[in-house]
Amino acid sequence: MNTITINATTPSAVSNRRQWLMNAGGGAGMVALTSLLGKETAAEQTTSAHFSPRAKRVIWLFMDGGPSHMDLFDPKPDLVKYSGHPLPESFGNVMTRRDVAQNPLLGPIKPFRPRGQSGLEISDFLPHTAACADEILVIRSVHGDSVNHPQSVYQMNTGSLLMGRPSVGSWIAYGLGTENQDMPAFVVLPDPGGGLKGGPPAWGNGFLPASFQGVTMRPGNAPILDLQPQKKISSWQQRGILGLAQKFNREHAGQRDNNDQLSARIAAYELAFRMQTAAPGLVDINRETSATHSLYGLDDAKTKEFGQRCLLARRMVESGVRFVQLYSSASNGWDAHQNVLTNHSENCARTDKPIAGLIRDLRQRGLLEDTLIIWGGEFGRMPMSEQGKGRDHNPWGYSYWLAGAGIQGGRAYGATDPIGLRATENKVHIHDLHATILHLMGLDHELLGFFHNGLDERLTGPGEARVVDEVVT
Amino acid sequence: MSPLQTYCQNQAATNHHLSLLWGILVWGILVSTSLVATSEEIISESPITATERNHWSFRPLQRRAVPEFETVPSARQRLDVFILSQVKKHQLEPENEALRSTLGRRLFFDLCGLPPHPRQLERFLRDASPDAYERLVDQLLASPHHGEHWAQYWLDLARYAETDGFEFDAIRKDAWKYRNWVIDALNLNMPYDRFLAMQVAGDELAPEDPQGRIATMFCLCGPDMPDINSQEERRHNVLNELAATVGSVFLGLQIGCAQCHNHKFDPVSQADFYRFRAIFEPAVQIIKNQSLHALAETSTSISPNYLMVRGDWRRPGPEVQPAVPRIANPSENPLHIDKLPNSTGRRTALAAWLTQADNPLTARVITNRLWQYHFGKGLAPASSDFGSGSQPSHPDLLDWLARDLVQHGWNLKHLHRMIVTSRTYRQKRASAVKSIHDPENVWLSYFSMRRLSGETIRDAMLASSDFLSSTRSERGVMPPLPEELRKTLLKNQWQVTEPMASHYRRSIYVFARRNLRYPIFDAFDRPDGNISCPQRDQSTTAPQSLLLLNSTLSLEAAQHLAGCLLRQHKNIDEPTFQEMFQRVFSRSPTPLELETVSRFYKIQVDLLTAEARNTKSLALPIPFPTKIDPYMAAALTDVCLAMFNSNEFLYLD
Repeated sequence: MNTITINATTPSAVSNRRQWLMNAGGGAGMVALTSLLGKETAAEQTTSAHFSPRAKRVIWLFMDGGPSHMDLFDPKPDLVKYSGHPLPESFGNVMTRRDVAQNPLLGPIKPFRPRGQSGLEISDFLPHTAACADEILVIRSVHGDSVNHPQSVYQMNTGSLLMGRPSVGSWIAYGLGTENQDMPAFVVLPDPGGGLKGGPPAWGNGFLPASFQGVTMRPGNAPILDLQPQKKISSWQQRGILGLAQKFNREHAGQRDNNDQLSARIAAYELAFRMQTAAPGLVDINRETSATHSLYGLDDAKTKEFGQRCLLARRMVESGVRFVQLYSSASNGWDAHQNVLTNHSENCARTDKPIAGLIRDLRQRGLLEDTLIIWGGEFGRMPMSEQGKGRDHNPWGYSYWLAGAGIQGGRAYGATDPIGLRATENKVHIHDLHATILHLMGLDHELLGFFHNGLDERLTGPGEARVVDEVVT
Repeated sequence: MSPLQTYCQNQAATNHHLSLLWGILVWGILVSTSLVATSEEIISESPITATERNHWSFRPLQRRAVPEFETVPSARQRLDVFILSQVKKHQLEPENEALRSTLGRRLFFDLCGLPPHPRQLERFLRDASPDAYERLVDQLLASPHHGEHWAQYWLDLARYAETDGFEFDAIRKDAWKYRNWVIDALNLNMPYDRFLAMQVAGDELAPEDPQGRIATMFCLCGPDMPDINSQEERRHNVLNELAATVGSVFLGLQIGCAQCHNHKFDPVSQADFYRFRAIFEPAVQIIKNQSLHALAETSTSISPNYLMVRGDWRRPGPEVQPAVPRIANPSENPLHIDKLPNSTGRRTALAAWLTQADNPLTARVITNRLWQYHFGKGLAPASSDFGSGSQPSHPDLLDWLARDLVQHGWNLKHLHRMIVTSRTYRQKRASAVKSIHDPENVWLSYFSMRRLSGETIRDAMLASSDFLSSTRSERGVMPPLPEELRKTLLKNQWQVTEPMASHYRRSIYVFARRNLRYPIFDAFDRPDGNISCPQRDQSTTAPQSLLLLNSTLSLEAAQHLAGCLLRQHKNIDEPTFQEMFQRVFSRSPTPLELETVSRFYKIQVDLLTAEARNTKSLALPIPFPTKIDPYMAAALTDVCLAMFNSNEFLYLD
């Protein structure tokens, strides 16, 4: 039963506690439960970071499909100038998804302007985010290894181009546990329009125990799968049913010396029952003021859906959820092969205001200081055109932005070449981005390990990954 | 000259080099200096050391004197003698035999994954003949349900799913044929050496038989991206994944670790990995935008195979010849490969080598797996990692069993029978003292309680009301899926199967979509089908409780059970509850339990009656006999739902 071997290099606090639980006969089941369990363990878990964390929680705004960096956050005056010309031969061979290397370059669709006090340049596509320029740090030199959507979605989420490895949220849940006894540590808010290119494995737990998997939630009365009784079972009926089952369970456990696994399941039922009350309250955005509603754009049909999820994300982190991931992926997401203008106008209109609202709201509530916001997709887009006005996938250099967690905003870090094709200065590989995120959460990416099938597995893989110091200081 | 042009000229030289680097696969980007990287030209690998050769799993199967059987009167099988001597040595007392009803339930679930029908259990309990237990074992091993249950363990190892995974997760239309091949092979008790050989080289060994090719689908069950840009990259990924899986499943060696570089303390070198992969190179043919199917070779001509530097598909290094890992081949004899009429014969040679009687790994690995599935834990704890995994708790026993398996013609049912008829297997669960002195039950002085799998929980729910269909399936069936989950998929990826009756087939026949596991399987630790899984986790989580308490699946099962009880009983009273206990817990209730249930039932009836809800809003039994008062009937459903939420239903003693 004990398939889970905790590696000796796991941080000692976590390791010892888990080891103790396993030795006490609880095994994996017991360990799993602690990620959903009470405050006494939560206190212990928050101290299990490797060093003092800058952020206690993360909100990752995942822009599925690949937003165009040179149209949003990475100004390229040269690309304006050479729009319509072919890619100079000196750039050598470029691997692309749809053979666009020979196509003419396409200039930025909308103008960039200096914003805020810092003068950080952001495109006219994003007026609301632009107004928060002084809060955000743009990394303009992120790069990955595949021109394909699912591979890149997996790499951005799990560090690997292959399917089936644990996602960043799972690693953080495994490393830090939850702060809230009634809620899971890792919550995913998928796009109700569906369409994520790679599907639920993007938030899978891989070889980590199932309890570290992202729990999907959505707005409304049924935020978690099977949270409420079936319509034909009223809540008093359910209380009775649970009461009878738990009575059986206590007798059964008593006859078995209160075996830890059995006790853990009794506790899991109690937790499930509490979640039924806690979770709907958590997602009940009617408790928010109308000022908050309009801050997130809930009063506008265009922004309402995404705004609701941004507001939910705030409510989650506020109540102690460790890692919230929010996907924008409906109608092919940001995958602007045909027309960047129409695609990005649409996506920016849906997300720009809610995202700015989220930054402001966290700031005014004093939450931004220890909450990390991450914005970005699985890759950026090519400077060459596709079908005239569109752009193909570009994993070789693109932008991400971070805000909160005490990060000094109004800055750009790293650079792509003059046309935005490849990251060239202060390059940040996806592994480096992951190492940096873990670092901000107080976790050392080299120590956060899990022994599986003969290997000491890490989010950042066996090679070297760099915490980007300039980002964290 | 513009800034861009200047820049471009400066960058031109480095870009070419960089673009090569950028494509590097997964983990291989920057290998730390402590690791020995093989250069483009020559193979660098350390010779196997004596210490490595001496690791327990690589030594030949030991032929030690078997402890005297006859001198240990309590032993039922020779394996008990090994166990009892260790129990004694560790100053423990072996537990007595479990109750007959407990044993019956244990056997049904363990061998067939189903609860005993009350009549079947009754027959067993009344059978006074001395070999009643053994006859039940034989009967269950001969049941077609045996293969349906044990196939799931193998499908976990085979990372089986019916779709590709990745973005489009397309259906592999013939994948089910492999699933059914496994079920049939286990039911027909195909000798393990044949079972193995067919999955590696069935197309070569049985060229006339379509089943031969189907068996090789084992090799290509993993995730795959048919529309990937570079089909060369795709083929590389498939081959690496295939070689790693074959190594871990049949040899218990994690050779996949070596695909990027050598590891300091690992006797499997990077060259070993690519030599092993070379055995399969001629058999993997891929076609862009088409799902993987089965292995196939069409020619005897041999193109060279290479070590891929840093695991990068763009960097062929030195040429390698097909071979098995050096550490697993103490004789150091090269693989004996004979060309076949239409193929290279490499895999036939591999199958022969894997199954030769003196290969210590193959027999030890499968013996240990069977032991693990019966007892919850292998004699060697890491059942797919014999290379670095720790010493078995009972090395002599493992070797004796492995030899015995080979001597009996790799007869798996023989091994099952020996294990489940042993004294060790028939013990009671732990007493308080035991669980303190040996909490992990390393010495097997008692039987370790275990939780049922998600698949078995579903099957048992349906079986308890006689609602489980015994029809087998070709393509997996898609029962309704909660809307929230269906929406996370692409359009038309989960189209509910018609007719509805097919939704009640056994869990093994539920459609295995790689990108979305069926909810109850997912919640209860079914592996994701991306990597071979030798042993599942046993997590305990609140979402599991929510599912058992609130899902449509549970409520319908409770309604079916209530309906089934009302078919046998006109009134709802003690006999009804007695039968309910028999069907769900395989035992009679104690008087106290009867009283508890009756009291709960009466309270629910009173409350429901007082509430006087419209009967359309009641969870009535299915079918609902109209003669019964609907509030009483709905209260019975409540009791049934509580039964399915009991640990006694979920755990096997």
